[in-house]
Amino acid sequence: MHKIESKNVNFYYGENQALHDISLSMKTNTVTALIGPSGCGKSTYLRLLNRMNDLIDNTQMSGSILIDGNDIYAKNTNVDDLRKNVGMVFQKPNPFPKTIYENVAYGLRVNGITDKKLIEERVITSIEQVALWDEVKDKLKKSAFELSGGQQQRLCIARALAIKPSVLLMDEPTSALDPISTSKIEELIYELKNKYTIVIVTHNMQQAGRISDTTAFFYMGELIEHDTTKTIFTKPAIKQTEDYITGRFG
Amino acid sequence: MTKEIRLAKKKRRNQKIAFGLFSLISYAVVAILFVILAFIVIKGIGVISWEFISAMPSNGMTEGGIYPAIIGTLCLVLVSMVFAFPVGVLAAIYMNEYVKEGWPKKIIKQMTNNLAGVPSIVFGLFGMSLFVNKMGFGDSILAGGLTLGLLVLPIVIRTTEESLKAVDDTFRQASFGLGASKWETTSKIVFPIAFPNIITGLILSIGRVSGETAPILFTVAAYFLPKLPTSIFDQAMALPYHLYVIATSGTNIEASRAMAYGTALILIIIVLISNLLANALRKYYGKKVKMN
Amino acid sequence: MASYLETELGKLRSIILKIGKLAEGQVAEAVKALLSEPVAEGREVKKTENKIDKLDVKIDDICQSVFALQQPVASDLRFIMSAMQISNEIERIGDLAVSVIKASKNIKEKHELISKFNIAEIAREVESITIKTNECFQDMDETTIEEIFVLNNSIKSKSVTAIEEIIGEMKSHSKTVGSGTNLIIALKHMERIADHNSNIAESVYFMINAKTIKHERLFDKK
Repeated sequence: MHKIESKNVNFYYGENQALHDISLSMKTNTVTALIGPSGCGKSTYLRLLNRMNDLIDNTQMSGSILIDGNDIYAKNTNVDDLRKNVGMVFQKPNPFPKTIYENVAYGLRVNGITDKKLIEERVITSIEQVALWDEVKDKLKKSAFELSGGQQQRLCIARALAIKPSVLLMDEPTSALDPISTSKIEELIYELKNKYTIVIVTHNMQQAGRISDTTAFFYMGELIEHDTTKTIFTKPAIKQTEDYITGRFG
Repeated sequence: MTKEIRLAKKKRRNQKIAFGLFSLISYAVVAILFVILAFIVIKGIGVISWEFISAMPSNGMTEGGIYPAIIGTLCLVLVSMVFAFPVGVLAAIYMNEYVKEGWPKKIIKQMTNNLAGVPSIVFGLFGMSLFVNKMGFGDSILAGGLTLGLLVLPIVIRTTEESLKAVDDTFRQASFGLGASKWETTSKIVFPIAFPNIITGLILSIGRVSGETAPILFTVAAYFLPKLPTSIFDQAMALPYHLYVIATSGTNIEASRAMAYGTALILIIIVLISNLLANALRKYYGKKVKMN
Repeated sequence: MASYLETELGKLRSIILKIGKLAEGQVAEAVKALLSEPVAEGREVKKTENKIDKLDVKIDDICQSVFALQQPVASDLRFIMSAMQISNEIERIGDLAVSVIKASKNIKEKHELISKFNIAEIAREVESITIKTNECFQDMDETTIEEIFVLNNSIKSKSVTAIEEIIGEMKSHSKTVGSGTNLIIALKHMERIADHNSNIAESVYFMINAKTIKHERLFDKK
């Protein structure tokens, strides 16, 4: 069964149709890369998966998105539970104005966990999961802003992992980072896919090639092609995809 | 070849002229400011003494100090801030974080902007009819402070709103993404990030409050009251009004001329101190929540 | 944390070692077929040949995806480029070994011809150059590279002499023409096997030193 399954999804910002009839499925514990030129709808699609677009006024959505077989846009869906299950990492590292420890603990606290031992345990495992423990174990009480950009981004991933999601959405998570930090994050994604289903938006085609199992190419709000990354990068079925990945676009 | 060189030379000359013009204008602005400051300092520095800021005015306000006016102004600032800060900040949070985009929000915004443009004397009149008469506070620090609070309310709302708007949306999304509620997100994440800018706006509005004359004219200010207020229901003197009085309608305008400049100088110093404080606070909190 | 690229490169390496071993076996079979009487097992040889072909395709496939998806650079890049070449060479070695076996079937009076013209030594040397090449790739050992070039030269010159002698024999005894021709063909194939092995050694040299020595008769000049 597919972990995430979207059927005929249309999405509008006011009068503007941003997504046209997107049907896209992703298997459990795989990395799916969403690629395409700016404004092609890939980020919009990503934000549908944890209903982040709900926060924008005057939008409309049709079609259905199932996660673990449950329609996340059904009336009885609890959005908070959905978002707990679907973690998100953003383009720019955005740690909260708190200590390193509290950044990771925040998600636990707002979800009503008060057991100090449990919180500490989860914070530590989450930071370890993103391979940041050795770098921050002596300064957990320091402000998260003291970390480097790459460390901050890993902290943000740890923050998302702390509340035990099963899906991780990443919106260009390395576009603000230097090459070394980028490759660390990429290695991390490679590790994390053993436990999580990851959907990543990236402008960096090489990155999509390096880290993803399947790649979906979006163009002008439509899903042009979705296949294994290898197929997309070696023999795409559709001319537009070929033109885009070879850089002969437009 | 030579043509290109000539062209390049011409370009460089034009650039020099433009730059020269711009720097001239900027220096002119600074110079005007300096002239005003220097004028007041030179004229006023002579009367500044410990006695001037710590003694009651005497001999028809031609001698003594301005102590009660300083205290009065500080009290007014305090009352107006206690009123305007929570109301303004909460209103701004509600407007920015809770109200959906649409025509009601647009109308409220437009109204807030209009309010900021209303002449201060109108506020004075309104304050008098509402606080002094209708609510029966009489001429008092409370009535004056509230009137001043109303005056700066739109400023507080607007600067707070701008500060909140400047907080990157991904902070909110990240917080919601972890299952936090709107209130948790606003109070624990958004507000702390916006705080340095909010506090700056707030302190700048203190400068505005301490300098306003018109709103206190009908609501609190006493022409001459050589004692300190004991409660917020007392009348009080205030620096700007005191300045107005001794400069235009005192018992002996010529004799109190120097004192008028001294009062002006003190007023400017208070505003200056609050600006410096704003900067320092912004830097201090800014470091704590430094954005990259 | 082993990255995806490292995993793929490791996979590639082990497949090349495997295909190399298979080709080595084929060469051993060829030597056996050439030196001793009737060929043992035709079907085994055919099976191994298919295996080699399949692995060759698989290597190309892995290389293609690594190129497309991982943007290998520096030593990784040289490794992949060499891997593609080496797998080609190995596949050719396997084919040639089969050709030797085929030609051997048509050599009558084997023992006489073989013992007369020093064929056995050439065959042994071809077998050993193949083994050495595999070791060379496995250990990335530069000293072996030189040995391989030396062996290749020795095989070439021995084979030239042997072929001249065989032609002489055919001129004087016309009934040996059939067998002699096939023997010459087999020898030529053996020579090619040695050549391919030395090409592999060149690729290994390129992998280690980032320097191309193809077409340079580097070790001849010595």
